[in-house]
Amino acid sequence: MSIEFQSVQKFFQRPGKGGMGRVQALSPTTFNIQSGEFFSIIGPSGCGKSTLLNLLAGLDEPSAGKVLVDGVEVKEPGPDRAVVFQEHGLMPWMTVRHNVEYGLKLAGMAPKDRQEKAMQYLRMVHLSKFAESYPHQLSGGMRQRVSIARALALEPRILLMDEPFSALDAQTRDVLQDELQRIWEETRTTILFVTHHLSEAVYLSDRVMIMTAPPGSIKRIVRVPFAHPRQKTSNELSAFINDLHQDIKTEVDIVAARELDPDWQPENAIRQEDGIVMQGEGI
Amino acid sequence: MSNASMDSVQVRGAAIKIQNQPSPWAAFAIRVAFILGLMILWELVTAFSGVPTYLFPPLIGPRIDTEGVFHLVHPGSVLAAFQRIVSDGSLLASTLSSFGRMAIGYSVSVVGGVALGTLIARNWYVRQTIGSMVLSLQSLPSICWLPFALIWVGINENAIILVIVLGALFAIAISTEGAIRNVPPIYTKVGRVLGAKRLALAKDVLFFAALPELLGGLKVGWTFAWRALMAAELIRADVAGIGAQLQVGRDFNDMALMFASVITILAIGLLVDLLIFGTAERAVRRRWGLEK
Ligand SMILES: Nc1ncnc2c1ncn2[C@@H]1O[C@H](COP(=O)(O)OP(=O)(O)O)[C@@H](O)[C@H]1O
Ligand SMILES: [Mg+2]
Repeated sequence: MSIEFQSVQKFFQRPGKGGMGRVQALSPTTFNIQSGEFFSIIGPSGCGKSTLLNLLAGLDEPSAGKVLVDGVEVKEPGPDRAVVFQEHGLMPWMTVRHNVEYGLKLAGMAPKDRQEKAMQYLRMVHLSKFAESYPHQLSGGMRQRVSIARALALEPRILLMDEPFSALDAQTRDVLQDELQRIWEETRTTILFVTHHLSEAVYLSDRVMIMTAPPGSIKRIVRVPFAHPRQKTSNELSAFINDLHQDIKTEVDIVAARELDPDWQPENAIRQEDGIVMQGEGI
Repeated sequence: MSNASMDSVQVRGAAIKIQNQPSPWAAFAIRVAFILGLMILWELVTAFSGVPTYLFPPLIGPRIDTEGVFHLVHPGSVLAAFQRIVSDGSLLASTLSSFGRMAIGYSVSVVGGVALGTLIARNWYVRQTIGSMVLSLQSLPSICWLPFALIWVGINENAIILVIVLGALFAIAISTEGAIRNVPPIYTKVGRVLGAKRLALAKDVLFFAALPELLGGLKVGWTFAWRALMAAELIRADVAGIGAQLQVGRDFNDMALMFASVITILAIGLLVDLLIFGTAERAVRRRWGLEK
């Protein structure tokens, strides 16, 4: 299985000074994700990470270019591409198990089969005990586990995750990162993982794509040359993260300089790279 | 202000405090006590203010007459009026016929209003066209439609039912539109990536996501329907009904009957709110985790 982004661009309409204006969220972007790969996208906020993910999910259409899965153009959402969002989005009126079963029910699976499958994936995220609870009875981390189980239950060819741990506290995030690494090794599902945490991206991924400040484009794609499973505390991982850090900080500073008052200076005083023109907002 | 008190409890020898919600029985007792208080005030005012009974009858009116005999119920009292309409069966008959009209009119309003509100929320063209008119239609008191209804569908039951529908349908449509548009977009996104298409998305996801707010809209719709019905029955006093009964009281200068009718109208409103909407809302809020 392969995923190809071919010169994908995205513009959004946005109300500006003189009526509706167009904003470029994504410069032409081309890259591939290999089968079974853990691929992360990282970049400053607003650089188009979610836009890329939504295009592959089929929630949105590219303004130009194509997104292909196994050579077939993505037109709409499909159960081969499951998504975990930052907000868990569990349906509060359904039990945990029914939440996990819902996608299977839509796919036409028989009640007994889908119950079994739901329980199988709830066990994978260690929440089978809470199958008959309602989402509001769970903690934030547990809810995100359910939402991962709900996506995995579809047995998708690719799992899309849009900052899935960003709303969680640091300890919970730590635990869930380890769980995700284990689940990925068990299932070998292809994963597209969007984050703004560099260490999280490096810890989990085969390759990390760093994006530029908006309108987003690819700055670099780096391979993380360490075998899984990895240790978060390993020195080589930390050294690798430090090397990449400046790359991202440059982009984050560009975004900050646009958003904040003009008297703001980045801490380590390497101002923006030459040749980057400030873009007016919402033209 | 907090309505929760703190209880002290002994745990392994140490006193700990536990947040203690007032029990449903305490809430019930306070409501009953409040209504009893109002009734006592009513009795005192009618007994000692000197206002004539035909203008402001007592609820019960106990008294000792000039021969020293005790009478519990004054013949001109509201209770006496209730006794009369209960024993001749007219209270039951008018309540049943009012409810019959409500059942039809309100059901039509719910089905039509929810469908219309959903269309307005989901379709840009419907929103720009019909959606912009619904609010102005809602601002017209529905009783203004009675003359039209009488000509269109004739002098019969259907005219009153049409007034109920016109009174409640637009209110329900407006609340439904709001409830659907307030559904957090995450549910739509999740529904779509799980494979829900238009119909499944509407009936499995949007409907339930909108339900807590939708229930509020149905409740408001019920009060509009009930008000419309009472107004229509007042004008068409030749039919059986609680509103008609109020008009009969006015025709015979029977203030006690008028009060009995109004009390019936209020009591039915209170009961429906408590038993039907209150129960439904509590169930939803508990399931959704909106209250403990
Ligand atoms: N539905 C939308 N309408 C208008 N602008 C949008 C929409 N979605 C995203 N954008 C804009 O596109 C840019 C990229 O957004 P997004 O992909 O969400 O960024 P990221 O996920 O990297 O933070 C941002 O400037 C954002 O404001
Ligand atoms: Mg995002």
